[in-house]
Amino acid sequence: MTATTPPPSAAGGGQPVVGLQPSSAATTGGVGGAVLVVGTRAGLWLGVQLGLVGLLLLARQAATGGQALDEAAGWWMVYGALVDLGTLGVIFWLLRRDGGSYRGLLGPPTTAWQVALGAAGVLAASVPAVVFSAELTAAVYGQDATAPMFAVVDLPGWASVASVLVVPLLAELAEPVAFLGVVLPRLERRLGPSWLAATIVVAIWAAEHALYPLLVSGGGLDWGFAAYRVASVLPFLAAWTAAYYALGRRLLPIMAARWVFNGGSALALALGQVT
Amino acid sequence: MGDKTLYRLTWLALVMSLGHHLDHLLRGNAVGWPVTEEVNAFTASLVVYPIIITGLLLYRAGRVGPGFWALVSGGGAVFVSAVHFGPGAVEPAELILDHYQPPVLGWLAFAWLVTFVTVLAITCVYETRLWARQRQVRRAARSAAGAGSIR
Repeated sequence: MTATTPPPSAAGGGQPVVGLQPSSAATTGGVGGAVLVVGTRAGLWLGVQLGLVGLLLLARQAATGGQALDEAAGWWMVYGALVDLGTLGVIFWLLRRDGGSYRGLLGPPTTAWQVALGAAGVLAASVPAVVFSAELTAAVYGQDATAPMFAVVDLPGWASVASVLVVPLLAELAEPVAFLGVVLPRLERRLGPSWLAATIVVAIWAAEHALYPLLVSGGGLDWGFAAYRVASVLPFLAAWTAAYYALGRRLLPIMAARWVFNGGSALALALGQVT
Repeated sequence: MGDKTLYRLTWLALVMSLGHHLDHLLRGNAVGWPVTEEVNAFTASLVVYPIIITGLLLYRAGRVGPGFWALVSGGGAVFVSAVHFGPGAVEPAELILDHYQPPVLGWLAFAWLVTFVTVLAITCVYETRLWARQRQVRRAARSAAGAGSIR
């Protein structure tokens, strides 16, 4: 932590942290940092997938670009780690440039029991989103169908272990911190009303999901899947962003709940519970 | 006076609840007394309005606090989830999705229900945090008063 950065508990000018003021570490720096974070993530998602397509074509593991894209899609739960590592790199670069600490981005101090109780609340608040997503999957792909992003996953043993143990952890250290800890406070500072900034963040966060995994349908990109992906993830992101405010801008409970959620999905896939 | 955000969230939940009851009336496939003679989950759910109105009056008078509201919101979220989402749901999503023409209206009504339950759950999280903080402040004040009396 640099000398210019007050500790998180000082947010709000010595007043108790009520929950509607972003931490001072998070608000330093302009909206350019937010654009950089979002742009890096989008660029990495596209770049990593196209890079894999190029490698598969060079190694003659796929005959066409479309086939290579589908092959690469099977690994999205692993190469997501590269995107999150890149995101963390940008976050730390911004912290060094603008001042602040990574811990400062996570909000006010949170005890272990607060994290556990908060995570339980976030998981409970995610139930309606789970139901909506399941109904949407059934409506688009048929009753009892597996969502395509899970159906395409095809990993060897070691990669499955990484997708369960490493990738969800990295995702939690990077994704919610990027959108709620870095992008949201900067947008609030630029735009004013929190609801407007939060709506934009949820929309951008959801739109990012259209970029992975890229699937092919009828010789071109599967835009229907991309639209489904955005719609199915939207209620989750809205619930988590609302929970972020309800918890007084504490990110740790949200990260913990998301880790249970995403790690659980990866584990179910690795164990063959989702086919 | 009370917490402004708590008031706003309570009014939002009230509007969402009214909207969901309107959806029941429009569909007509999951209604009970006073619309029909049958007493069912729809009838039971109407009790929420007197609870909210009484709660708002008591909260304004300082007789109940965020703990009361956390129980109301949390109880509401569990009740509506059990009725619509649970494994033994008496009014599953199909009752909403398959009873509107055009179907997009069914999806709008279903999205409203999903948002309604999420609002209740998030409101409960907020009120629980407020409740915990209030207890913390009260405990600190009590121990400060205790230390003062020793001196």
